[in-house]
Amino acid sequence: MTEILIQLIEGSAINSWILSHGWLWPFSEILHFIGLSLLLGGMLIIDLRLMGFLRQMNIIATERLLPWASLGLLINFITGSLFFLGDPARYVINIGFQIKMLLVLIAGLNALWFAIKVKPVIATWEPFSDTPLLAKVIGSVSLVAWLGVLLLGRLIPYVGTG
Amino acid sequence: MGIFELLEETSIALWVGESLWGYPIMLSLHAVGLSIVVGIFTMLNLRILGLLKDIELSAFKSLYKVSWAGLAINAISGFSLFSSQATYFVTSKPFLIKIAAIIVGVIVAIFLYRCLYLKDEDTSEKKTIKDQSTRNLAVLSLLCWTIAIFSGRLVAYL
Repeated sequence: MTEILIQLIEGSAINSWILSHGWLWPFSEILHFIGLSLLLGGMLIIDLRLMGFLRQMNIIATERLLPWASLGLLINFITGSLFFLGDPARYVINIGFQIKMLLVLIAGLNALWFAIKVKPVIATWEPFSDTPLLAKVIGSVSLVAWLGVLLLGRLIPYVGTG
Repeated sequence: MGIFELLEETSIALWVGESLWGYPIMLSLHAVGLSIVVGIFTMLNLRILGLLKDIELSAFKSLYKVSWAGLAINAISGFSLFSSQATYFVTSKPFLIKIAAIIVGVIVAIFLYRCLYLKDEDTSEKKTIKDQSTRNLAVLSLLCWTIAIFSGRLVAYL
């Protein structure tokens, strides 16, 4: 199954386009770092506030950081896809990449949990006070997941490839 | 023997350079520190430039401490990575540009702190920052961190 997928990608036009432009890979890596700075910068502040820190900051206003974090996520989705499509065989069997994707999924589900449980009621919270336990849990899970994504992402070149 | 050759012989350099996990662990920590430093300063600069007006400026006073912690992570991890190949890194142009950008970036961050929090009490919660020199520093700060990321990645290629 994965071998068919790898063959399909390696025979595609986008794969040869990526590989035929030598500058594209380092340029995408640089953008990937800029994207992760936007994503982590935004999420770090939101998550710390959800955990009950930074109480000088209106908790409702933290959602203004989301477009910037989302922009970072978009940049990294695009550049990350280029890496994957450029060298699929390297990534699918890499344990670092697999755990990283699992952590991205966890962070995504956690964000969904936030959207369902917290977002509808956050306007009723005291803007400059401590947060409920649920918010602390969601903020902590988010922070740990994203920092894990970073650690695992940087380990990809060094960990087992099956 | 020069100082950089000596540095390469230290036990930390040998651990980073020759153990199985030394280099990858330090590199991963370096990415975490980068995201904390550049992430927080990017958001602060956007705030100063008027793009995140609803975020209280005083919150960034606390976030400065977090970003200094990130900088400490990267000074330690960066120094250990540097020590493993010191003689190579000191001749790498992208590396030297990166270090220069970080030094300027840190100095700009200190100046920004003075502009935002030490000038007078009232500025801390002001919604819009009109002071042009503060805004210029924010642009310079964004530029420094972008150059640092750019040249840092190119160390591996050039």
